[in-house]
Amino acid sequence: MSHVLEIRQLTKKFGDFVAVDNMSLNVREGEIFGFLGANGAGKSTTINMIASLLRVTKGEITLLGKNIEKHSKFAKMNIGIVPQDIAIYEDMTAYENVRFFAGLYGLRGPLLRERTEEALEFVGLGDKATSFPKNFSGGMKRRLNIACAIAHRPKLIIMDEPTVGIDPHSRNYILNSVRKLNDMGCTIIYTSHYMEEVEEICTRIAIVDHGKVIAEGTKEQLKAIITDAKEIWIGVRADEPLNLEALKAIAGVNAVLQEENTIKIVSKTEINNLNQIIQQLIKDQVEIRSVEEQAPNLETVFLTLTGRNLRD
Amino acid sequence: MNIWNIAVKEIKSSLREKRTFMFMLALPIILMLILGTALSNVFDETRTVDDMRLLYKSNWTNAQVSTGWNAFIEAIGKNGVEVVEAESGIDGHEEVRANRYTGYAVVGDEGIEFYGSSENAIGSNILAGMLTVFADRYSLASAAFQVDPETAAATLSATGQNNEFIRETTLNSNKKPGSIDYYAMAMTTMIGLYAMFNASYLFSRERTNKTAIRLMAAPVSKGAIFTGKVIGCTVINLFFVLAVFLFSKFVFKADWGSHYGMVILVLLTEVLLAVSLGLGISFLFKGEGVRAINNIFTQVASFAGGAYFPIDQSDGFFSLLSNLSPLHWVNTGLLQMIYTDNPTGAWFAIAMNVSIAMAFIIFSVITMRRREGAFV
Repeated sequence: MSHVLEIRQLTKKFGDFVAVDNMSLNVREGEIFGFLGANGAGKSTTINMIASLLRVTKGEITLLGKNIEKHSKFAKMNIGIVPQDIAIYEDMTAYENVRFFAGLYGLRGPLLRERTEEALEFVGLGDKATSFPKNFSGGMKRRLNIACAIAHRPKLIIMDEPTVGIDPHSRNYILNSVRKLNDMGCTIIYTSHYMEEVEEICTRIAIVDHGKVIAEGTKEQLKAIITDAKEIWIGVRADEPLNLEALKAIAGVNAVLQEENTIKIVSKTEINNLNQIIQQLIKDQVEIRSVEEQAPNLETVFLTLTGRNLRD
Repeated sequence: MNIWNIAVKEIKSSLREKRTFMFMLALPIILMLILGTALSNVFDETRTVDDMRLLYKSNWTNAQVSTGWNAFIEAIGKNGVEVVEAESGIDGHEEVRANRYTGYAVVGDEGIEFYGSSENAIGSNILAGMLTVFADRYSLASAAFQVDPETAAATLSATGQNNEFIRETTLNSNKKPGSIDYYAMAMTTMIGLYAMFNASYLFSRERTNKTAIRLMAAPVSKGAIFTGKVIGCTVINLFFVLAVFLFSKFVFKADWGSHYGMVILVLLTEVLLAVSLGLGISFLFKGEGVRAINNIFTQVASFAGGAYFPIDQSDGFFSLLSNLSPLHWVNTGLLQMIYTDNPTGAWFAIAMNVSIAMAFIIFSVITMRRREGAFV
């Protein structure tokens, strides 16, 4: 399978701060490539360099075999970007929005009209073409955000958190759209804070931390990395964040995080430390409501490798 | 083509903004009406030129010039202009600076040098207009003299008898600005300056809308985005300015003279200047700083440039402030052209507007090219 995108020894510095550190990865043609990283991991900086929004400090990015800095126009013509923030004009109708952005890619006349209508139909907004986005729900705006990125039929679509803050129905619609785009031959780079989405649709995943790719592969390959880890979920009554430092100090514990009323602990399989964990919580006067052990999933992998939650 | 797309998008967005209509159309028209009515007494409709004093120095050797000049000063003297020949040792420029004379003219065989009072701009413009007509008439007579001395003599004597140069310039009672005439012009030029507001948010609005990322990711150069936006912003603001201009002309019957092409050219360059100033400010300042600078600049420039009342006489700091206001040179140029048919001030305004606009546009382009990622 040929590579649509190749990143070789990519570095981006902002002054002395290294946002992306000697990163290398490949995205193959026809895959939905999950790009995971907590906030500040270097994910957005990498995406911005791929989309030619930021200059490369060192290294090289090639799209369809061409260096994107030397062939900037070619690269831009073949990339569609769905930004994390909804990037549409509220004072233009849905049709005008898609038409305007598609027009920037050189589409004109009947072809422009056809592609605009096609993109709106694709995201289910065909009947809302003449409506203004200010009257749209969050999910509809997200779908319009996608339509603006696909009307020019790019080879590579970068979707940066396309499902943030929307209802389950719109989320399903978008996930199905991503699959359909992929079936139509588009290669997709997909980032999300929802691990289950990534697990559901991505064919291959890279985990980024501190500007570096720390793991890359299929879901199965990533899960295989952490065969020696287990995840313990402890339901607690917690009105505010708990002090988890004492738990982290227990032998065998790799990572601890609190998500509302659940404490998630990644621990080494061979060490039985559950009693110590519970004793520590009792000592800290934390009210325990449930304890369960989870099979390792992508989240366990992410926690183990980065020590952070994807939403951090 | 992308430049056109971006320009059209800017125009469309502005036309859909109700607040822009209120601000750029309703506000100047209402102010025009209120100020034009309330301050009508300030504009002395029956004001004559009897308070104008012209000091001159004769350097001619040609007797024909002397004849023509004497006829000229006699004619304008009858219409209230006091003409005084400078005694030796008198510094004419200093006399004008001291406001003892409205203007100082050095008349020679080769032409007339005129130094007008900046403190009495309208008076000095009127004198300049008269002198221009005299100089034109005299040049005509000189040319005729080479061919037919009788025609030349008739031309010169007509100068003194018919006073045509006076009618052509400023003493015609219909050619004095009334309050509505004045405020029609002042509000139109003021609203032209207000294009700064729109321009200063041209790029930051893209950042606020989060659409900057899409524009930058598209295969469109920063230059094309910049040009499209500047064209769109200039066109839409010129549209508002021309709408106010036409409304004042046809509804309020304001006098805009007869050189409409020149008036529109001055207004176009003023809008271009305002757009470039707004852009420059958006690249120099951020957030609330942009709004504050815009508000302060437009209000001070409007006040000192004669938007709220005519600035004929000023001195010291206010004079400096007035001279720095784009509205000062634009209004002075337009008044000169409308009421004396003299385009000198208008050309000066055009040159100032274009030069400053170019400087700010170049600054904005360089700043934008240097910045990475989003525009501002």
